[in-house]
Amino acid sequence: MQATQPAFFKQGPKPLTRLLIFSTLSVALMVGDVHFQVLGRVREQVSFVLYPLQWLATAPFAAFHEARDFFTRQAVLIAEHRKLNDQILVARAKAMRVDALLAENEQLRGLALRQQQSSQGSRLTEILYSGRDPFSAKLIVDLGVNGDVKPGKIVVDTEGVVGQVVRVQPMTSEVRLITDRNHAVPVMVQRSRLRTVVYGMGAGQPLEVRYLPPNADIKAGDLLVTSGLDGLYAPGLPVARVTHIERPSGSPFPRIQCQPVAGIDSHRFLLILDNPPSPPPYPAASEPAAKGA
Amino acid sequence: MPVTSHLPRPVRPSLILLTLIGALLLNLLPWQLIGSHFAPDFVALMLLYWTLNQPRRVGVGWAFVFGLAMDVADGNMLGQHTLAYSVIVYLVLSRSRQINIFPFWQQALAMLGLLLLAQVIMAVLRLITGADMVGVSYFIGPFLSAFLWVPISNLLLVYQRKSVPESL
Repeated sequence: MQATQPAFFKQGPKPLTRLLIFSTLSVALMVGDVHFQVLGRVREQVSFVLYPLQWLATAPFAAFHEARDFFTRQAVLIAEHRKLNDQILVARAKAMRVDALLAENEQLRGLALRQQQSSQGSRLTEILYSGRDPFSAKLIVDLGVNGDVKPGKIVVDTEGVVGQVVRVQPMTSEVRLITDRNHAVPVMVQRSRLRTVVYGMGAGQPLEVRYLPPNADIKAGDLLVTSGLDGLYAPGLPVARVTHIERPSGSPFPRIQCQPVAGIDSHRFLLILDNPPSPPPYPAASEPAAKGA
Repeated sequence: MPVTSHLPRPVRPSLILLTLIGALLLNLLPWQLIGSHFAPDFVALMLLYWTLNQPRRVGVGWAFVFGLAMDVADGNMLGQHTLAYSVIVYLVLSRSRQINIFPFWQQALAMLGLLLLAQVIMAVLRLITGADMVGVSYFIGPFLSAFLWVPISNLLLVYQRKSVPESL
């Protein structure tokens, strides 16, 4: 019967046979794919053929997204730009604040250290503002009568002498800086033990040592420290460093310029020192306070 | 195709290929935008349709080839779609004469069963190879596909139902 069947009816293998063949193939594919991972090539080939279809299927959506992006991009970008700008402003303000706090912290640490080291009692004070008078170098600090501050007390920072309390109000006090015009500090040259007086020359100006003989043992780079002779300044506090010595031919005295050691106008916190134990009274008359000339 | 009064036109192989490729294209649309579980399997639908319509042309071999394409396109384990498609196409082949005389809505029910079977086969294969259990939503797609059976069959028959020129 099979042999007599005309070619017209020939359909190849029966459907069941085909199913068995292709199921076996499928299972082989699965085993090969899952257990042996050997079908990378097959996958590559098929996906190469499929790629145009995949591209075609996703192209309209991609184009739609592209178009939508194009139209929203402007608005989004502008909004985002604005937001980022705001954030930058806030962040920058914060960063500046952090920098300031860091510096302040550094100085407070130094002051605390100095407070521990110095045998004298001292009080920490904060600068409220600098004096408004342009002709004198003054600071206003936040301790007054309430902080047991008395005129004549010495004000220092971590590096050296800043000034002297000249006036005390209930809550504040006024500090005259050593750079104030004609403010005098009795000092000695640390290297040579030469005693002299250093004068202020006005706000923002260097200090000056006057009336030294031309052969005095002083040179640029010398450190001037308080001598303690006046009974107000404790001895040994750094005051200034000699920067420049000039010996003009027409003058009997050399001109000696010094730079204050302390950061006169760069800090927020200062230390007010208690007076050193007062020396025994001067034999003839009481010593005049070295409160400027 | 239900019994009709007149003889349908013969189908060109290129039409079969074209519709299958179109179905593949539809399957490749980014369905994940609306949830891939709801995607009707157009390839399976077209394979079933042509197997039912042209049992002497379309068979298990086609199912295997397009199953392989689906496997690669979906990035699935190779062999998953091939086996499922082969099985359902074989089932249609073995009963094509019976199903062919049903009205469309009954055919749709049969197709729903076959498509569900395909999903079950694939789910079981994934479970065997160590995947997690899929949710019930995995079986929503076949319902949508079965729902599309009637309109798609009618659409494709438009071509075949065009009256043959008298001069033939």
